[in-house]
Amino acid sequence: MITPGTEPNAGRRGLDWGQVSVLYVREMRAAMRERAIVVNSILIPLFLYPFLLWAAFTGLTFAMGQTEGFVSRVLVTDWPKGHPGLRLKLEHDEQIQMLDAEPPTTDMEKQLKNGTLDAWLSFLPPDRSDSTPVGAFQAVITYNQSQERSSQAKTRLSEAVESYRVEWLKREAKGHGINKAEWQGFTMASHNVASGRAMGAFIMGLIAPVIFVVMVAIGCFYPAVDATAGERERQTWETLMSTAASRTNIVVAKYLYVASLGGLAGLLNLLAVIVTLKPIFAPLLEKAGETLEYSFPLMAVPVVALAGLLLAGFVAAGMMIFAAFARTFKEGQSMIMPFYMLILVPIVFLQTPGLQFTFGLAFVPVVNLTLLVRQAISGNLHWGPAVITVLVSLLAIGLCLRVAGFVLQFEDVVTGAYRGTFFQLARRRLLSRRSQKGAT
Amino acid sequence: MSTPVLVQALSRIFYDEARGELRAVDDVSFECRAGEVFGLLGANGAGKTTTLRLLATILKPTSGTASVMGHDVVTAPEEVRRNLGFCSSTTALYPRLTARETIEFFARINGVPAARVPQRVEQLVQRFGLQEYADARVDKLSQGMKQKVSIARTVAHDPPVLIFDEPTVGLDVLNALEMQKVISEFRAEGKTIIFSTHIMSEAEKLCDRIAIIHRGTIRACDTLAHLRAETGQHYLEDIFVQYVDPAPPSGPAALPGPRPGVGP
Repeated sequence: MITPGTEPNAGRRGLDWGQVSVLYVREMRAAMRERAIVVNSILIPLFLYPFLLWAAFTGLTFAMGQTEGFVSRVLVTDWPKGHPGLRLKLEHDEQIQMLDAEPPTTDMEKQLKNGTLDAWLSFLPPDRSDSTPVGAFQAVITYNQSQERSSQAKTRLSEAVESYRVEWLKREAKGHGINKAEWQGFTMASHNVASGRAMGAFIMGLIAPVIFVVMVAIGCFYPAVDATAGERERQTWETLMSTAASRTNIVVAKYLYVASLGGLAGLLNLLAVIVTLKPIFAPLLEKAGETLEYSFPLMAVPVVALAGLLLAGFVAAGMMIFAAFARTFKEGQSMIMPFYMLILVPIVFLQTPGLQFTFGLAFVPVVNLTLLVRQAISGNLHWGPAVITVLVSLLAIGLCLRVAGFVLQFEDVVTGAYRGTFFQLARRRLLSRRSQKGAT
Repeated sequence: MSTPVLVQALSRIFYDEARGELRAVDDVSFECRAGEVFGLLGANGAGKTTTLRLLATILKPTSGTASVMGHDVVTAPEEVRRNLGFCSSTTALYPRLTARETIEFFARINGVPAARVPQRVEQLVQRFGLQEYADARVDKLSQGMKQKVSIARTVAHDPPVLIFDEPTVGLDVLNALEMQKVISEFRAEGKTIIFSTHIMSEAEKLCDRIAIIHRGTIRACDTLAHLRAETGQHYLEDIFVQYVDPAPPSGPAALPGPRPGVGP
């Protein structure tokens, strides 16, 4: 017999980093040869998501162009006397087509609903009061907001009528010898002090954290299933458990493997998005008259890296808890899916206008890390919520690992003999206090 | 020197929500000596694999004790696993590793010092004739080559005790014969081998002593010659049926009852 040496794990029990590293290297080596893992954890983060982003925004631009290209079919009734200019203005607008027919009101509403008419502009007498001048009227636009084309027609009509109204007021005031400054009373203007670089960081902060969360989750997904259900499906689980490695070392190595691939996917994707954001957005924003500069603040690098590790640590632990019950790859995928969807909930939060990284949100896992990444990218980091975020994330990871420890004390779960889910195990053996350690 | 494998009153009860309590292994006792092939003979579901999994510390016993090279399976499971190699028809290999990487991994994880690993890997590659395929991924190998890699990884750390749980299931005749040859070689090297099977001819050919296990209990444990003398039957198949059939149509008037299994 070969006498065991001092490495790895020469007779020690508990966590042995030498043994963990041997197991970790084995996991990573095999993973890097697995097409599904390489594609999902490296290639998709690097290439596909920037491409999808480009495709999405290009498609959006195209769709907007298509909508703008539509001519709005408009019906106007009860033209106001004394405003022939308004009729002329609408008739000369190339984006508006004036329809001649004048059916009853009920028919017009029907046409608006079925999409054969985009908007109906009617001029009605104003609400009566003593101060109402002679010849006054109100313009009412009837449209169907559930149809994009109708909404577009309403916008065009509003802008045209408002533009005519301002011009008419100007002329009327001039006729009465009142200059523009007098009849306007006061004017309003706005000035954006943000530099092009700050605006670039703002845009990047809106987009990058969202994809970051998705990528970390995807990066963890396949390795988590591979490290648990995959072992059972390939029947290598028993082989591994009959080695001298302790169960703790095996689980720690698998956890680190899943977390590192999740973190790698997130960080690679962030890098790819940062690099590709300028060529994707610059043409779009230049059309809107904005000039943006994109740069990644150096201070953000360690913060984003830390956030990536914490997020991957949490997601990996959560996914492995659920996947621990799976005996096949398919089971693993279906068991992880609810947790995966839960991880993506913060994306909804991030779309909330004016969302601030408050102390309260710093206590919400995943949301806090995405907001931390957003602040770091924007170069506007607040240390109070950031510190709380790190502590809460560490606590969440610790809690998940504690739950994993609870799950792995059951021999049948470890050996893959248990037929049920995490929730069934918790209900039967923890909540009902009918714990049957080692049952099948 | 302590007995390499000692099993005393070992039991394992499973609890199934539908079927209730299942005694997969019930009060089993036996011992295995250095340089012998100890056969565990039983039908499917008799409790062979559960017994071997208890010995390999994959499962924990409900009661009783077992030790491998003096290490208790409950209190020192990692030491037990370090001293044994476990190979079964269901223990698969990592398909994405090469044969060499597989042997290297199992040597390292089972405690072979890093400096000695390359030498040990090369030794096993030579011994099992894997030179041509050593750097090919396992999933590209033929069934016969996979079997060789599987044996090589089982003995990568040169353990004194080897467990083979129905290792020839699913193998063709030539590969099964190759497996039997390898097991004989290990016996000649002085290793303690526990060999479970339901194939009578294999047990007859290989085993120095045979334990007949049925419904979780050891019905008999002795050398083939003694079992023949005890039952008056020549073929192991007939001997087996006499021990496991509660009411045989013919045979000895009184069957030997369950025995502790510590043979001569």
